[in-house]
Amino acid sequence: MRVPLYIYVLIKNKRFMLGLIIFIVIVGMGLIGPLVYPRDPLTRGTKYLPPSLEYPLGTDGFGRDVFAQFLYSIRTSLSVGLITAVIATGLGLVIGAIAGIKSGLVDEILMSITNIFLAIPNWLVAVLVASYLPVEYRGPHIIAFLIGLFSWPWFARAVRAQFMSLRERDFVALSRIAGYSDIRLVFEDLLPSIGPYIVGSFATFMASGIAGEAGLAMLLSTETMVKYLSLGMMLFWANYFLAYVTGAWWLFLPPGITIVALTTSLALLALGLEELFNPRLRES
Amino acid sequence: MAKLPIDRTMVMYIAKKVITLIITYFIAICIVFILPRLIPANPLATRLQQIITYYIYKPELVPIVWRELLNIFQFDKPLHVQFINFLRRAFVGDFGISVDMYPMKVMDVIAMSLPWTLALVVPAALASWFTGNIIGAYAGYKRSGALENIIVGYSFIVSRIPYFWLAMLLLYAFAFSLRIFPVGGIYSSGLKPSFTLDFIVDYLWHYTLPFLSIYLVEVAGWMGSMRMLISGELGTDYILYSESVGVKDSTLFKYAYRNSLLPQVTGLALRLGFATTGVFIVETVFNYPGLGYFLARAIGALDYPLIQGIFLIVIATVFLANFLVDFIYALVDPRIRIGGRG
Repeated sequence: MRVPLYIYVLIKNKRFMLGLIIFIVIVGMGLIGPLVYPRDPLTRGTKYLPPSLEYPLGTDGFGRDVFAQFLYSIRTSLSVGLITAVIATGLGLVIGAIAGIKSGLVDEILMSITNIFLAIPNWLVAVLVASYLPVEYRGPHIIAFLIGLFSWPWFARAVRAQFMSLRERDFVALSRIAGYSDIRLVFEDLLPSIGPYIVGSFATFMASGIAGEAGLAMLLSTETMVKYLSLGMMLFWANYFLAYVTGAWWLFLPPGITIVALTTSLALLALGLEELFNPRLRES
Repeated sequence: MAKLPIDRTMVMYIAKKVITLIITYFIAICIVFILPRLIPANPLATRLQQIITYYIYKPELVPIVWRELLNIFQFDKPLHVQFINFLRRAFVGDFGISVDMYPMKVMDVIAMSLPWTLALVVPAALASWFTGNIIGAYAGYKRSGALENIIVGYSFIVSRIPYFWLAMLLLYAFAFSLRIFPVGGIYSSGLKPSFTLDFIVDYLWHYTLPFLSIYLVEVAGWMGSMRMLISGELGTDYILYSESVGVKDSTLFKYAYRNSLLPQVTGLALRLGFATTGVFIVETVFNYPGLGYFLARAIGALDYPLIQGIFLIVIATVFLANFLVDFIYALVDPRIRIGGRG
């Protein structure tokens, strides 16, 4: 059986494989974990129990099982990352592709909008919008949606730049001579050429969604949001219960380590894909 | 001091930047104006209920606070009058009166907290930028196995740690386990801000952990990017040529370092907006009374005038910082201003 070249390059890439393994392990914990350990994460019992056989990660200030929370939170944070990545990649692709294929006025207008959104810190707009939402709607998924809505600009600019340089290449010129329309050109020539780059950016957006949700949860959450679970919400509660001052390390170590492991593994995946896309990077 | 290269291209470049800056700030103001009017639920109605419960012990204040709030949003006036009033007040920096910190003006709350935030952000950002660049450049230049591997690993992982989580780790290690540093605040109770030795030592003692939680993460980022830039620079023709004609190693390093520093200056501008987020959350962890601490409080209390005020002030500050970096960049690298002419 012949292995396609791109899979061979990726398997040979140790950093990519390391990222992939970490990512798969965490995804497995989020998907299978709650099935294997089916305790309800919101049921309240004895408060501030340290880790034991009965409660692998102890309980929090409400007496909720931290390990059950942790497993559910991984699941939520993964979906949070997906939501952000789908929205940001989608918006960035559409805007970047239109600006890159149409030159002139359309390009000018789209790029000025992009530059304005690039200049305004995106998390700040997300905070402003979320602060007008009633507290019960400020859950992780809404925050993920808002982060995605405001973090596409750099990607749109990158896609536009790639399209502009691809447009000058011979194979695109030949397609044009063959009478391809702009839309067919985008889908058959341009998008496939930057495929790995898009997947890599998707991973980067996913990481920024997960980390961004964690950060915004710290700023936006209030003590009434007990029913929401995500890695960010776990850190919010750790801060709320002052876990680092009372010594309850089990409240903030597992979610924090998982956030760093997720973002690092996604960055390794993105890096591996970038090397596939740009062979010059492989030697260094 | 060398003469500053301020000529026509430079003036054109600055003029262009200033115009973009004003347009973008105008759009930010529009966003702030449109948002509360766009959301279907009436945030003021819920707010009134909260004001009543909040001031339950001072009922005589309720109508006053309510009138202030109406005065800021002016929902009773026609839309264009609302907009012009809002615009005028936003440009002179009058954001009304804070609901949560009544009867303080929003501008006074900001004036009180902004210096503390700047005292945290500016030294941490600059210190990490300088040290990170030097360490990264050295690692990229030496290419000595172990050291480089450690630095690559450190910069790759640590630059992805959220500041506020590192803050929790540092608090756990140094405030809870070792009890060397205080758990929060900016100075011990009983002291008053002054330029005495006692106060400064006490302030630095409280300052160490918040500073480290930003510095350690930021320095990792700069180290990583500088190492990559230097390795790229060392492969360029002019370096290979200089090497072949026998230029000293230290001189080569200086060439490569200076050229790699340029993209890092732009990087600093891009990073500032992002870094403020992290700093805001760190402030809430340490109860450090900067903008972020008051923003979190304002969000909790739905203090819209204060949220809007902090939003616009942060945007204005980030814009100004970006402008300053752009200006420095154009001074250092003439290609930028000429490119700006089209």
